[in-house]
Amino acid sequence: MLTLEKLRAFGANVDEGMQRCINNESFYLMLTEKAIRDPGFEKLLEAAENGDLDRGFELSHALKGVTANLALTPLFAPIAELTELFRNKADADYVSLVKAILAKRDELTASEG
Amino acid sequence: MNVTIPTNEMQKKPGSERKRKILIVEDEFVNREILIAILDAEYEIIAVGSGAEAEASLLSLSRKISLVLLDLNLPDRHGLDILREMKENPLTAKIPVIVLTSDKEAEVESLNIGAIDFIPKPYPIPKVVQARVKRTIELSEDRDLIRETEYDHLTGLYTREYFYRYAEQYDVFHPDVPTDALVLDVNRFKMINERFGKQYADQVLIRIGQAIVASVGEAGGIACRRSADTFLVYCPHLTDYHAFLDAIIAAACGDDKGRIRIRLGVSAKTEKTVEMQTRFDRAKIAADTVRGSFTDCIAFYDNAMHEKEIYDERLLDEFPRAIAEKQFAVYFQPKFDVRPDTPVLCGSEALVRWIHPELGMISPGVFIPLFENNGLIRMLDRYVWRETVSQIAAWKKQFGRTVPVSVNVSRIDMLDPDLVETLRDLVINGGLDFSDLHLEITESAYTENARQIIDTVNQLQKIGFVIEMDDFGSGYSSLNMIATLPIDVLKLDMVFIRSVFRENGNLRMLKVIVEIAETLSVPMIAEGVETAEQLNTLREMGCDMVQGYYFSAPKPAADFEKFIREWLQIKEPMSI
Repeated sequence: MLTLEKLRAFGANVDEGMQRCINNESFYLMLTEKAIRDPGFEKLLEAAENGDLDRGFELSHALKGVTANLALTPLFAPIAELTELFRNKADADYVSLVKAILAKRDELTASEG
Repeated sequence: MNVTIPTNEMQKKPGSERKRKILIVEDEFVNREILIAILDAEYEIIAVGSGAEAEASLLSLSRKISLVLLDLNLPDRHGLDILREMKENPLTAKIPVIVLTSDKEAEVESLNIGAIDFIPKPYPIPKVVQARVKRTIELSEDRDLIRETEYDHLTGLYTREYFYRYAEQYDVFHPDVPTDALVLDVNRFKMINERFGKQYADQVLIRIGQAIVASVGEAGGIACRRSADTFLVYCPHLTDYHAFLDAIIAAACGDDKGRIRIRLGVSAKTEKTVEMQTRFDRAKIAADTVRGSFTDCIAFYDNAMHEKEIYDERLLDEFPRAIAEKQFAVYFQPKFDVRPDTPVLCGSEALVRWIHPELGMISPGVFIPLFENNGLIRMLDRYVWRETVSQIAAWKKQFGRTVPVSVNVSRIDMLDPDLVETLRDLVINGGLDFSDLHLEITESAYTENARQIIDTVNQLQKIGFVIEMDDFGSGYSSLNMIATLPIDVLKLDMVFIRSVFRENGNLRMLKVIVEIAETLSVPMIAEGVETAEQLNTLREMGCDMVQGYYFSAPKPAADFEKFIREWLQIKEPMSI
């Protein structure tokens, strides 16, 4: 089960995320749980593997917004970078980048228990 | 997905304020829920996750939605496309939209399309979001209120008050652009209303409005409907307005070419220091100079008009002093009975002259129309009546008897409820008989407010005043009506007399009019008679009395006395 402490330990800016969620702890945690289970993460990997940069952009852009609002900084930062790579259709190892993001996400899902 | 968090309206106390509705269009659950949590205490939230749902909500609830919070990346549509469609649809165009985006470029584009603001992602702290939403709704509602009074409901052009303000604003931002003030008036619009109905007339006005906007809108011109059929346009200077006016007239006529005529007055490139309203007053003055013209429909306000305007303004300013200082002199023009071989004085008409200490003698043709336009004529008429009564009383005292004098009673006097009393008191207080003072009432006054005027004239006639119908032949009285009017004398219009003798063939008309007087058994006076030929013709036709320069110009009282002295030497003086 996620807690504020676990999120802090993860590197999330909990105070900022909580403030956005009108300082309602259970609401913040509920949304965070929802976010890290977002099927968009898996779909993002699929897009990267398929070389579908447009779809990759859509998905990463959406995840960027969500992780930003919840102040999940360790996820937000690489997703934001990835989004820009997709936007610019840059030559990059998207699969590795997405896998790294998924691994980071898994730190949280693992801590959920 | 359609998440509605309703407020139970039924449970609200009567009179309590309803919550405003906000439509949140956001497909990401987390983002959407955060916004709902931030806003739902103050607002009723309708939350949807796709473009299709947003479209459906907008169409069904458009008038009830106070604000749309729009995410740009939706699964089925791009948010900017939804925004574009909203702004193109009159039903949704006025709903304010705040765009939710983390993309800087999209912020600019969405503002250009019509978004009123944006909320970035990650969202600012809740207080900021709440304040932005609140302010946006307030501004939008204020704007809607302003819109109600900003635009003319029929044509969609500005209303007058806003028009003047925007015109002034134009000058502030374009101080070096020469501009023109235009006034467009539809000729005889009342007739269009009466002949073809209000609906048709309204369509004409709408088409004129559209054509004006099409013609000057692109160049930055603005327009308003000032009153029923008068339009004002403020636009960058044009040297030729023929194509402009042709386009407006063509639009006004629609398929019925030639039915509608519009006159255009232009105050061109007026100094920006001149007040905005004054520029349009000038354009209106110019427009009115071509009121009746079929050929010239465009007039530019020029120096001559400007000088006349200044001159008129001076006369209006100086009127009270002129009355107080008795600068207005009453002149008397004799009327002669031409039935005997030797014409005999039978009366006179009191005519006012303004002997101005600096401007000299001012023609009544200049100041009477001016005073008629603003009601000062009432004061002037009363002044003339008083002076005339005093003069008649003085002559009566001096000579023992005198001829009657007629005074003009203007149209506006006829609407005065105290008219009968005023005239009666004047005569009684002056020690005169009612038959000493004749009243000249212009023919057109009878046709304007016939019932009331006939009642008033009946009362005046009943107490003993002699009523002369002035300017007969210039109005549009029907013969049937004339037969029922209280008239003692018909005065044939001077302009009519002149035109009859100028165009030889019209003598038959003159004969008809003399016969009308005979049929009505009332004497006829022809005024404006200048030549022996005119006198002889009128005599032969049976005209009873004549007034005009042939006998005498209007004379000051002292000079008129010679006519009285001559008349007194005749054993049996004639009288009307």
